Amino acid sequence: MLRHDGPFDPAAALEAGLVTFAPDSIDWDDEVRMAVEGRAAMSPDALTGMEANLRFVGPETMETKIFGRLTAWQNWIFQRPNAVGPKGALTSYGTSDRAEFDYNRT
Amino acid sequence: MISSDKIPNNVDLHLNKRLQRALEHWQPAYIQWWRDMGPQGFQHFHQVYVRTAISVDAAGWAHFEYVRLPEYRWGIFLADPTVNRTIGFGDFFGQPVWQEVPGEFRNQLRRLIVTQGDTEPASVEQQRWLGHRCPSLYDMRNLFQVNVEEGRHLWAMVYLLHSYFGRDGRDEAEDLLARQSGNRDKPRILDAFNEPIDTWLDFFMFTMFTDRDGKSQLLSLSESSLDPLARTTRFMLTEEAHHMFVGDTGIGRIVERTCQLMKESGFSEDVRALGGIDLPTIQKHINLWFSLSLDLHGNEVSTNAASYFANGLKGRAEEGKWTEHRVVETMYELEMVENGAVKRQGVPMRNAMNEVLRDWYVDDCQSGVTRWNKILERYGFSDRLRLPDRKFNRGIGQFAPIHTDPDGHILLEAEWQRRNTNFFRARRTNGTCCRS
Repeated sequence: MLRHDGPFDPAAALEAGLVTFAPDSIDWDDEVRMAVEGRAAMSPDALTGMEANLRFVGPETMETKIFGRLTAWQNWIFQRPNAVGPKGALTSYGTSDRAEFDYNRT
Repeated sequence: MISSDKIPNNVDLHLNKRLQRALEHWQPAYIQWWRDMGPQGFQHFHQVYVRTAISVDAAGWAHFEYVRLPEYRWGIFLADPTVNRTIGFGDFFGQPVWQEVPGEFRNQLRRLIVTQGDTEPASVEQQRWLGHRCPSLYDMRNLFQVNVEEGRHLWAMVYLLHSYFGRDGRDEAEDLLARQSGNRDKPRILDAFNEPIDTWLDFFMFTMFTDRDGKSQLLSLSESSLDPLARTTRFMLTEEAHHMFVGDTGIGRIVERTCQLMKESGFSEDVRALGGIDLPTIQKHINLWFSLSLDLHGNEVSTNAASYFANGLKGRAEEGKWTEHRVVETMYELEMVENGAVKRQGVPMRNAMNEVLRDWYVDDCQSGVTRWNKILERYGFSDRLRLPDRKFNRGIGQFAPIHTDPDGHILLEAEWQRRNTNFFRARRTNGTCCRS
């Protein structure tokens, strides 16, 4: 791969393992729609958590960036009502109920 | 070249570039699979009189012609759409049905379709030697009719995978041809479809009991919120009915012949010596195929089944006959195993959806057994055939760890080892799997 000269087109990038998926034009619209819908159906906290995580950051080292942020992000996600509230994803996991999420910005 | 002439369809194949392109790869692989794994010895020369569906209306779905089997025109058909159809059950009850796969349910739907699709070529593989020892031309035609239609049902599922699941769907469609019934390394997904079918008694039992599981699964999928899946399975049900007819009447004919021979011989028990099949042998086959087919319905208590129902992916058989379709509060009572003993216990009905479908299935099977017993009655015999208890010989679900006799009485390990060969015909064992 290091010997590759010039830009990769999608097929070459897929072949080289640089990307995991490269839908061609015939699949593109459907794949993108399903990917977006699939993600949008999950808890929005992954994104709000990222934002909250970045909001009050002080001076950082590599260690705090890796372990501190990850811990903070996980603590945020797993304590939110969207996870552990009465209709949260963790509460309803393994039951016949669907999780219900609050999409408001926190 | 993929064309609408060779592939009868009502899905506008000639306009659908994506489907054409997918089929260009898949169709030759399918034909090769049919030659390798389809009816052995009936590929090149024999003209077989079979029914081909060329449209979904009354005039077209039963068109008869002579064909060489590999030249059979496997088509793609959806039952006519229901105008303004709404979702009939689960959390989305009353909303419009889906014409496309919602991203959220892509994996669940793909899994349901692949599991159903896998059974179709599997049964063709299981039955591929039976043409050599068929009892009559009538039976041979029925066998090949069943085979080509199971092939068409594979096409139906592949159509859905190709049209709605992108590259994943095309990969899955290829895998459907790569797995093989009874193959140790790449077996079919469900256990009953790895069981060898060496005799015509097994074939009739399979079409009676295992194809009837196909019917209950298709009925529940025909309720699906994904409209193309509902319409595809609705049309498949019209063909499936004939397969069960073959099994039901096939066993009926055997029972009838057994009765005749017993009567002719002055009611001596030795029907085998006269070339017949004795009732205990028939009962042993019922015990095996019924219990294997019960396993196909999956675990009694299943969160997957609950979520399929909640999300509107898979309903109950004949959902319209139920009064309540969201099933949020309803409880369902079923037998549970606790400390080695069987107790009745209530669980939320959503979690018991596999068992609810199994109830429908057991009732449907019972009506066939009742018909066979009428034959025995007509000949004045007191013996009766019967379905074994649903706890008997289970490989899946909560009864799997316990042993029972066909009446459902719990047996200790030693007693089971001593007696189980009296309960069903000897079988080669494979890995075990089920709808979860």
